[in-house]
Amino acid sequence: MIHSYLVFLLSGRLFGVKLLGAIEILPWRRSRTVPLSYSSVEGLIDYRGTIYPVFNIGRRLFMSGPGPAGAPAQAEAAQSIILLEENKHFFGITVDSVVKMAKLEEPSAPPEKIQGMEMKYIQGVVREDDQEILVLDFERLLHAD
Amino acid sequence: MNEGTRFLILSLEGEAYAVPISRLLEIAVPRNIQKDPNLTGPFEGTFEFRGNLIPVLNIKKVLKLSGVIGTTLLVVKGGKGTLGVLVDAVTEILDTDQRPVPMPAGVINPGIQYFSGILRHKDNLVLLLNGDGLLP
Repeated sequence: MIHSYLVFLLSGRLFGVKLLGAIEILPWRRSRTVPLSYSSVEGLIDYRGTIYPVFNIGRRLFMSGPGPAGAPAQAEAAQSIILLEENKHFFGITVDSVVKMAKLEEPSAPPEKIQGMEMKYIQGVVREDDQEILVLDFERLLHAD
Repeated sequence: MNEGTRFLILSLEGEAYAVPISRLLEIAVPRNIQKDPNLTGPFEGTFEFRGNLIPVLNIKKVLKLSGVIGTTLLVVKGGKGTLGVLVDAVTEILDTDQRPVPMPAGVINPGIQYFSGILRHKDNLVLLLNGDGLLP
């Protein structure tokens, strides 16, 4: 099965998210912080009538902060925010940059281990032009903690 | 005017929060807060309000916010009685017919009941404090 994915960079690695619903890409902006929120939550953004929670997925994916898994994440003001909709669930994620939207083959099983990365959030891998795109498991990524 | 449609906007460390006006009894200067050995943790002591001593809550401690203790005292009807809440400042009264938007899933542990929703105000998001859940 071929699906559409959004491919983005985070700490020097390519990640992909399957596009199921609407999507918006915004330049970084300050989120409204929520005291006592989970550590991977940046805050809330009000965009076109919907309030999106914004997740810093890098904090979940890289176990001890950006390290051997890739280059350090960019300064947050240089990042982008991707707003997604999945199963009527609206949320945003912060990424270093958006690379492309592409139709990708069905992912194969991910590598067993990538140094410094929380593999339970990686659903699979797509190899394309000598590059590895890690496909994220959002169900797990967003409902952990 | 329906009850619950007017909110007092207050600030804590530069961010906006709201309480329903229907909960508010008075805005006071927090003078003469008496230490009380029975009140610890986020409580700073007691304050005499209309002849009664009420507990004074440092809400920044409850919400784990940094910064100096608030200099404005809100006397509110909480779920467990009257209490004083120390905030940085009160900014204005918001008169609105919007219904608070529930907190999106995945943001905060659902067991934490300090917020009862989100209001929009002047391009900002305002967190509505849950009057019944204020006491830790």
